[in-house]
Amino acid sequence: MLVVLCIKIDTKMNTKQTIAIIGATGNMGSGISKNLSAGNYRLLLFANELSKLQTLETEILAKNPTADIELSECPTEASWEADVIILALPYPAQQQIAEKIREVANQKIVISIANPLNETYDGLVTAPDTSAAEELQKLLPNSKVVKAFNTVFAADFVQPVIAEKQADAFIAGDDQDALQTASELVVTAGFNPIIAGGLHVSRTLENMSLLLIQLNMKNGYKWLAGWKILHQ
Amino acid sequence: MYNVFFQKFNQKVSLTEQEENVIKQYLTPKKLRKRQYLLQEGDICKSIALVEKGVMRSYLVDPDGQEHITAFALEGWTIGDLSSFHSQLPSTQNIDALEDCELVLVSKSAHDELLKTMPKYETYIRLLITDAYMALQRRILNMISLSLDDRYKAFIDTYPNIAQRVPQHMIASYMGLSPETLSRIRTRMNTSK
Repeated sequence: MLVVLCIKIDTKMNTKQTIAIIGATGNMGSGISKNLSAGNYRLLLFANELSKLQTLETEILAKNPTADIELSECPTEASWEADVIILALPYPAQQQIAEKIREVANQKIVISIANPLNETYDGLVTAPDTSAAEELQKLLPNSKVVKAFNTVFAADFVQPVIAEKQADAFIAGDDQDALQTASELVVTAGFNPIIAGGLHVSRTLENMSLLLIQLNMKNGYKWLAGWKILHQ
Repeated sequence: MYNVFFQKFNQKVSLTEQEENVIKQYLTPKKLRKRQYLLQEGDICKSIALVEKGVMRSYLVDPDGQEHITAFALEGWTIGDLSSFHSQLPSTQNIDALEDCELVLVSKSAHDELLKTMPKYETYIRLLITDAYMALQRRILNMISLSLDDRYKAFIDTYPNIAQRVPQHMIASYMGLSPETLSRIRTRMNTSK
């Protein structure tokens, strides 16, 4: 059973938070970077290919000249400066990056967006009693890992309202303050945040994403699809 | 990353390596660039910060838009809005970096947990707050009882490093003086040497 909790999201914080986006030039990373650049955040963008990062920077500044963004040459340095770290990386890259940021991510919010899909997209590579987010928490024991953005597609960032409905974005985590911060990021990115429960609920969220991907391929949604909870 | 933090801690309360490792789990390492804010007025002070490297300041802005510096913090000093941190109500102060800084933050939840579970941390905080109270008292007494020249001299004697790292107009603001008044005091003191 999926437990859906509602909380009041107040995004009116004066102090600008610094968000490190590791893997900023991927499909998901660039969508997150572009949409968050409109918020009261300072973004530190990191990716392996500098030329792609520079292209992303140009695109963001063309749309939003006042965006507070900076390209980072090192994920460790970016994470040291950051208040929140978003790992916009595929699941197999998780372990290596966790080792690089472990010390500087101490006590910080680390957002896991990964879906641990197998090569044929018909199952998950994680065991049923765990999830990509829980595995990340084991790698970063003193960080506040939150699952977010994994149930939305990259194309949804361009169009978060689909068929006149704002896509829901589910969040899971064990720290209340971290859930609040992640909810604010989801709101800024254009989605409706739904806190689904503790970090173990990531198992369900990652399976929801698997199902949506399978339905997308079967029914030809062209990757513009999302989950929406209907309620009174 | 935590060198100065534990150096200061050990000056007040001696820790074993094991105890240091327990405390480390609760600390947040954070870099701040010059002119970036740790806290802005209206937000809740969620962490207190020990400066590992750099200089921080706190200030408030009065209804006329005038800035008043309430504190400086150099390496080894702690800064935060204690009222807002304890009450978790919005702060009336701003805290920003005067140089590129490396900080060690202790969040409210980490602070509460350490107070509950580690008596040495409670002792450290008690001594830290006692020192801060004594400094505050000395500052008020100096304001009430000393001449302007003696107040400035007391400031320089107590905090010689600040005067070398922070512009004079900020020291004037901290002392509640106009930059011109402070300049006259400094001229007088230099000529009387």
